[in-house]
Amino acid sequence: MSYQEKNITVSLVTHLLIVGYYLVNLFQMHQAGGLVSTRVFSLWVIVIAAAIIINIIGSILTNILLSIVHAIKTGTEQEERFIEDERDKLIGLKGIRASYITFSVGVLLAMLTFVFGQPPLVMFSLIIFFSIAAEIIGDISQLYFYRRGF
Amino acid sequence: MEKRQVRNNIRKLRFHHNEMTQEQLAVKVGVTRQTIIAIESAKYSPSLELAFRIALVFGVPLGEVFSYDAEDDPA
Repeated sequence: MSYQEKNITVSLVTHLLIVGYYLVNLFQMHQAGGLVSTRVFSLWVIVIAAAIIINIIGSILTNILLSIVHAIKTGTEQEERFIEDERDKLIGLKGIRASYITFSVGVLLAMLTFVFGQPPLVMFSLIIFFSIAAEIIGDISQLYFYRRGF
Repeated sequence: MEKRQVRNNIRKLRFHHNEMTQEQLAVKVGVTRQTIIAIESAKYSPSLELAFRIALVFGVPLGEVFSYDAEDDPA
């Protein structure tokens, strides 16, 4: 598994945990009698902040851990070549494309709930969900391209 | 049009250059070993710049490293 694949895997696990936390909380709110705007707003803030902060921390920790593992493996302090070449950039762009398509479809679906008479809270909750789901799809598609060879 | 028409002789050229490893070639042309593996197995067609860099490493013309199979090309 290459350096990029490891980074993407960490990102994927992070996003899956965040979307899991988000869905569990939404489900609990729904069970407790429906979406309450104040609780939903605080959940959005937590999820968006977590998505940004945990991703940054995860990326830093992955880099540190990989460097330590590399130093232990080789027995030297020589840095590993964590480079991003043209193929990595191309795979990254394909991942972004998959994310954008997922998010666009998600936003359309979310707007449809508004058209069918659901409250705006449902629509915005779905948009937040699809924004994280889009990241997950982007990560999965990148891993797929790396595993396939391109 | 058939896909993956760009073929290459990188494995053979590596062998004739003191059995150069994929990692060594990757370092010389500034890409990852995974990219060299993908190019060798014809899963990825490199950019023109990278193709020239690979040819320069082996000291041969581009046509000796890469060839284009135009058999199924309608153009």
